[in-house]
Parts: sequence; C-alpha cells; structure tokens
Amino acid sequence: MAKTALCLIFLAIPLPAHAQTPKAQMQCRATGEDFVYDCVVALTRRGKPLDGVEVTVGADMPSMPMAHQVRPQKARPGTKPGEYRVRLDLEMLGEWAVKLRLAGPVRDQLILHYEFDSKGAAPTRK
Amino acid sequence: MDAYAIGVLTNIGLFSFVALSAYLLLIAGEMSFGQQAFFGVGAYAGGILTALYGWPLPLAALAAMALGALAQLLVALPTLRLRGLYFAMATLAAAEMARILFELLRWRRSIDGELAGPDGTQGFRGIRWVFEHGIEPMHYLGIVGVLLALVVGLFLFVERSKLGATLRGIGQDPELAAAVGIDVQCVKLGVAAAAGALAALGGVLYAHHNTYIEPRNFDIMLGVHSLAYALIGGLGTAFGPLLGVLLDIGVLESTRFFQGYRMIVFGGLVAVLLVFRPRGLLDERTVRWLRQRFA
Repeated sequence: MAKTALCLIFLAIPLPAHAQTPKAQMQCRATGEDFVYDCVVALTRRGKPLDGVEVTVGADMPSMPMAHQVRPQKARPGTKPGEYRVRLDLEMLGEWAVKLRLAGPVRDQLILHYEFDSKGAAPTRK
Repeated sequence: MDAYAIGVLTNIGLFSFVALSAYLLLIAGEMSFGQQAFFGVGAYAGGILTALYGWPLPLAALAAMALGALAQLLVALPTLRLRGLYFAMATLAAAEMARILFELLRWRRSIDGELAGPDGTQGFRGIRWVFEHGIEPMHYLGIVGVLLALVVGLFLFVERSKLGATLRGIGQDPELAAAVGIDVQCVKLGVAAAAGALAALGGVLYAHHNTYIEPRNFDIMLGVHSLAYALIGGLGTAFGPLLGVLLDIGVLESTRFFQGYRMIVFGGLVAVLLVFRPRGLLDERTVRWLRQRFA
C-alpha cells in the first residue's frame, strides 16, 4: 500500500520521454502443433544488437484488447548477438499484437503486429 | 505473483472502469453500446499528453477524464431524448464515428529524433510513462486497484444517498420521477458526463499499461462486453459489473480449457442470464437479501 502511494506521488514528476528506444524484429515458424510457433526476436538499440536483456513475450488480439491474453513466456538468448528465442502458444490464427517486455539493463515494452498462419508469421505494420 | 496473474488482474481492473461506466448509465435507465468511445478518448488524450507533451500521468488522467466527460455530454445532449433501443443504436453509431475519427487522427511530433504520436490505423506507439518512471507491473496493478476501490467506494456512497435513490427512480420510471419534481434531463446529463469521465479514466490507465493503442481496440466488441459485464454481474450494486468482469476475464480467460471457445461460453452465459436473471446475478432483490442477512 505504501509502495503504491509512493508510486502515485512519483508519477507526478515529469521526465523526458523516448530516450534510446529499442527496436525489435521477429521471425516465427509453425512447429506443426496447432497454433504453436518457434520465434526468434532480434533486439537492437541505435542499430547495435541489444544483449543481456530479460525478454518476456506475450500476445494479445488487437480487436479484443485485454482478453485472449497469451501466457507470457521468458525468451532464452539465441546464438547471435541481440537474438532471443521463444515458443509462442496462441489460441487461434490471425493477427496478434506480440508484446515484448524488456527488463534488466533496459526496461521497456515493445508491441509487434504479426499475422500468424499455418506456416509462420508476417508483420502487418511498418 | 507471476506476470500472467498480474496481467489478468490488471486487465480485470481496467475492464471494470468501462463496465462501471455502462452500469452507471444502466441504473439511470439508459443502455449504451458506446462506452468504448470514451474509453478511447481517454486513452488517446492521456497518451498524447504524457508521450508528446511530457505531462505527469495524474494531470493527464484528469484532463482525459474532463475530455471524456465533455465528449459523452456532447453525445448525450442530442441522444438522451431517445428511448430504449433508439438510444442504444445512437450510442453505437456515435462510438463507430469516434473509432473512425481515431483512424483519421494523425498527431505526430518529433521526440528525441523519433516521430511519435497517433498515426491513424497504424496506431499510437511509445506511451512509455510507466516504464520511464520505473513503475513495476505489480505496482501498476496496485495503482489500478486503489483507483478502482476509490471509484467503487464513491458508487457505494452515492447509491446509499438521496442521489442514488433519485437515479434508480429515474431509471425505473422517468415520468413518475419528473412528476415529483426531479429534473430528469439534467440528472441524466450529469450521469452521462460522469460515465464518460469514468470510461476515460479506464482508457488512460489502459494506454499506459499497454504502451500502444490503435482504433481497433475501441470497437463494438469492447462496448458489448462492458454492457454485458454489468448485465451479468447485476444491477443491484456497483459490485455487479466487477463480478461480471471477474467471471469473464478471471475465470474464462485464465482457464486454459475455455481459451479459444471463451466467446461462445460468454455469449451463452449472457443469453441464459438474460432469460433467467434479467437484472443479473447481483440484482436488487439479491442485494437486499444479502444486506438483511449480513448487515
């Protein structure tokens, strides 16, 4: 309760926005199991690979926000710098807003829009 | 508590604001399918003020609530003379107009060399106030919970006051209420403004929780759900809409068995309840019975 009250007070302090926003790209391929995909996330900041970040990946359907939430999964580091691997278990095919929650040296949340089909996923937004 | 549980509980809290906003109009006798529009007004206004102009979130929330109240007042002024289904259709049309306006809204500014702000159908990214202030998900859940508790407390206070009796009187028989000297139109406009502000508060909190919003977030599905939560949970108390949200998001959404089929189960639940308990699980009679038993 005290922490929540402190947060409310802290929220009133203005801070500069958008400092060194990380960027993310994702590639997914279907595993053969219904709606399950193996995904590789590439994180960069100022054009350089972003390593050592704790990445948690969830997903939401844009047409029904706050419902159809996919249980967030922790991504494990991949083989290349700035690469993270995660398995996504969705509820259905279609467009999903994939949420990347970054913790550790960088705290942020990135939203990527992908259309998932029987083979893999393709981005739907620029 | 794991990230998933925190996410589900935060979503329950955020949905509750828009459900309570629909409930407020329902007890005053009006069925709105358009509360998602004011949720969207709050989300966009709050996001623009914090992300583009560096406003503190509490100030942005207050401004967004004022804008939400004003927007709902503007919709209510011409539509409150309509009744029943006609009012419901008018609110739905107004909400769709608002969604199309969000699709046309482009308000971009360069922040630290990057363009930010609403970009029509591409959405509005980078509403990062919560992250920039180091607010952990658990603490954000606490903030949502405290604000929701304040709102529910205010509802309970009003429901036990003369104003609460006036609202229910207007909801049950507006002609009779007018006959005893109540300015029905004036009270309903006040209720509409309060409902708009409440939905907008939920919208601001949603935008800052999600960091991204887009016009599709505020389509008819959200409006139908917010109304259904109030109708499922019950119109006897402000805890009713919360029970409705808890049943849908808490039980159906978080139970793996229902996922994918949730909307079918939810639709069936609404249909069955409307037949057997038209004023919801916690209707006026049940609330009276509970008060007599436990008070």
